[in-house]
Amino acid sequence: MRYDSITEAIGNTPLVRIDPAVHGLRNIDLYAKLEMLNPFGSVKDRPAWHMARPHLEAATDAEGTVVELSSGNTAKALALLAGMHGVRFKSVTNRMRVPEIKELLLLIGAEIEELPGRSECLDPTDTDDPLTHFHRALSDPGSTYLHTDQYFNPRNVEAHAEGTGPEIVKDLDGRAPDWFIACVGTAGSSTGVARVLREHDPRVRVLGLVAHKSDFIPGIRTIDEVHQVGLFDPATYDTIESVTSDEAIDGMITLIRRCGLLSGPTGGAAYQGAVRQLRYADEELDGTGQRRTAVFIVCDRAESYLSYVRQRRPELLGRTGRGRSAVAVTGAEARAEARVIGVDDARRWSAEGDPRPLVVDLRSPHAYAALHIEGSVNIVDEVFEDLLRGGLPFSKRTPVLLACPVGEKSLRYAAALSRMGHPDVRSLAGGIVAWRDAGAPLVRE
Amino acid sequence: MDAPLYLRPRVEPPLAGLLTDRHFLHSLVDALGSPLNVLLPEAVAENAARFRTVYDRHHLTGRVYFAHKANRSSALLRRLAAEDPAAVGVDVASVAELRHALGCGFTGDRIMATGPKDAAFLWLAARVGATVNLDSPGELERLSGLVRAHGFGRVAVLVRLSGFEHASGREGAGTRLLSRRSRFGTPVQGAEALLSALERNAETVEFVGAAYHLDTTGLEEKARALEQCVLFMDECRARGLSPRALDIGGGFGVGYVAEAEEWERWTTALTEAVLGVRPPLTWRGHGYGLRNEGGTVRGAAALYPAHRPTAGPGYLDELLSLPAPVLGRHTATLLLEHLHDLHIEPGRSLVDQCGLSLARVLDVRPADPDSGQYLVHLAMNAGDMSLEEHGVLVDPVLLPRGGTTAAVDGEAVGVYLTGNLCLEGDLLTRRLVHLPRLPVAGDLLAFVNTAGYAMDFHAHRAQRQPVARTVAVERRGESWNWCPDEDYWPITPVGEQPDEV
Repeated sequence: MRYDSITEAIGNTPLVRIDPAVHGLRNIDLYAKLEMLNPFGSVKDRPAWHMARPHLEAATDAEGTVVELSSGNTAKALALLAGMHGVRFKSVTNRMRVPEIKELLLLIGAEIEELPGRSECLDPTDTDDPLTHFHRALSDPGSTYLHTDQYFNPRNVEAHAEGTGPEIVKDLDGRAPDWFIACVGTAGSSTGVARVLREHDPRVRVLGLVAHKSDFIPGIRTIDEVHQVGLFDPATYDTIESVTSDEAIDGMITLIRRCGLLSGPTGGAAYQGAVRQLRYADEELDGTGQRRTAVFIVCDRAESYLSYVRQRRPELLGRTGRGRSAVAVTGAEARAEARVIGVDDARRWSAEGDPRPLVVDLRSPHAYAALHIEGSVNIVDEVFEDLLRGGLPFSKRTPVLLACPVGEKSLRYAAALSRMGHPDVRSLAGGIVAWRDAGAPLVRE
Repeated sequence: MDAPLYLRPRVEPPLAGLLTDRHFLHSLVDALGSPLNVLLPEAVAENAARFRTVYDRHHLTGRVYFAHKANRSSALLRRLAAEDPAAVGVDVASVAELRHALGCGFTGDRIMATGPKDAAFLWLAARVGATVNLDSPGELERLSGLVRAHGFGRVAVLVRLSGFEHASGREGAGTRLLSRRSRFGTPVQGAEALLSALERNAETVEFVGAAYHLDTTGLEEKARALEQCVLFMDECRARGLSPRALDIGGGFGVGYVAEAEEWERWTTALTEAVLGVRPPLTWRGHGYGLRNEGGTVRGAAALYPAHRPTAGPGYLDELLSLPAPVLGRHTATLLLEHLHDLHIEPGRSLVDQCGLSLARVLDVRPADPDSGQYLVHLAMNAGDMSLEEHGVLVDPVLLPRGGTTAAVDGEAVGVYLTGNLCLEGDLLTRRLVHLPRLPVAGDLLAFVNTAGYAMDFHAHRAQRQPVARTVAVERRGESWNWCPDEDYWPITPVGEQPDEV
């Protein structure tokens, strides 16, 4: 395979059969359409290129900005395509809730505008949502924005009607599957593919999957949100069902661990929703000797959703402990084992002690820079925690005075250092706050 | 009829106990008329304590200021005045509120004066030693002039900042978090003029810190503002000023509807009704800001998020546990490490579960011949109970008059609640309200949790309808006692004469 441009690698994704031993359906062959193998990593590569291509190829003077309301894959594809053509890309969204995607977009060079939260003190006469302002800005005369408008742009659907749909039919030897299952985001892939499949065989059944209303699955809309999508037509779907983030992650884990498919949660939701729905049909087929076929879409890859998984199912990313930790000292143990020193004694000690104690300020560098005890060193608590894992960071002959804001963290660290064998470490009682309240000097250098 | 679309209220003790005492509530309305506002002063103190628990968890000091505008009651204010002066204050936004706060026992040093201020308001605030939350450099100059002219002592001031989304270079590259524009406060990037005004007027005003108040439920926006205020105060310190308090305003929210599922079902049904795939759920098909454009829903629903998994103290805790966008530390750690006090001004969430509004049913009749829906006419109007004005949707609780009358058994019914003004638009709610049974004349409807911004926020004497009286109630043994709001003092059991001192 030799290409002149990465855009030529968009499409022609494989259709892979899921092992019946995994899904347990006896009479239905289930296939995954691996859209995650598109060059930018998702099903959105197709519509992004199809929507943007006429504009980008016409953009000769590299002016203007492509804008899209996207929190993820469409933005990723558009940002890369815009970059290739020397045009800027801006994503406007209030759903950028997956940090890896956000950082990846920044790496690609996208600008991100996050919409404000809902109003707390409602003005019911103001129903102008931020999106209305967005559209107004786009239609300003002189605006150089190029809005791909994925939720309303018929080219989004076309990309799938010309690509994804026909590819499925071709790989099934010219037949349409009996079921097609897709998660509904912009409704582009489900609408475009469904159209082509039904042209081949009007009996194709289409299952649309949406997110459970109070839940969040990246790339899927909830049942209310789909109604805000211009491309969404309820008539496209024979059934609309909702899936939960738990199911999405379950499905994702099955695809990854048992099928070798490195799918993200949207693909997981499609798989889990498909199996849940097909189980009944499979039972009805028992003993009839008939076989059926179903296809679902694996929208994108797992890598970008690790923090999503960590937040919801941390046990899947289980980590082992990293040795000694001051956090392991309980509050009661710290109170019992650590030595504390009041502000007045601490002032005397640091001025007249022989040797004088090393004063360690555990706050952040920014707070330390603002105000601190003269002569103290700043080792922020997170770093200090790491230091302790390596062993005692001070000579046993150097007395140490630990200070934090209110004397709570320093107490734990003092206990931990004592356990490690330091003979004279004390925690400043009441911390820097007590120091200030006692009128003791704090300096800014 | 479809399954009833309830939005049943979240009711917690002691309010829940009060609602079960139907006889007591009916006797109150019999004596004092409909509408009637009932307040539980003890509950406001408990709420303040809940906020303090969050402070304690994060080792923070500073004050919880009650935003007076949320409720004009004396009982609530007096009950809060009896709390620890170091922990609880009051935020007033007019000279009348300031006078009221002083009259209820707040000393000047526990009062924060905010909002647009006329000369009288500034003068009295300066006179009694209140902290003035300055909106602009101009206001600072006017205050300073008053202090000089009248020979007052230095006045403590906070400066209210805004425009945090425009601060440059402090966010992650390429990311801009937008905010609604506010008409209050001084844009943070224009704060130079403010700082020099503070320095110029150092003999008249004592700069104690920065403030912000954002009208948003978005935690990230608030965390960003909080951090930028900390950075701002750091600049102030570098210039030799010594601010030590950050006031982060309010907007911590209240959960009105008990069950998430009911809220989700109703809001989905609203979308479907706007699209025309189900019958309207509202008077004349009102869409609460949603509209149907060629089969696609456009616009934003002007609704308060009435079911909230975390609100009030829980929301504050979440905000304080959020990492700051630039410095990375949790916002609480940021405040603590920079030795700043935290001030908050919860209005609505400090009076959560503190009150209810009662209305007598005057008349019930079919809305039209076949719909199975009814008009329930109440001795109350939309000004007396302005939940709808704030987009808060929640069902009233039906309190039948009799014991086991016909009204007690019966089927769920959809009703429109109409008010006592001679106006087509006077509906208590534009939503079709489902009640477990049809009310009859003489029954009461209790709107629960209306102490914040709802029970008398828009009440007026137009058309000479009676304005609600307000009473404070208190549990004593097996029964509830009451007294007029203006007669409540936290030193005496409710309904008794104060002992001689």
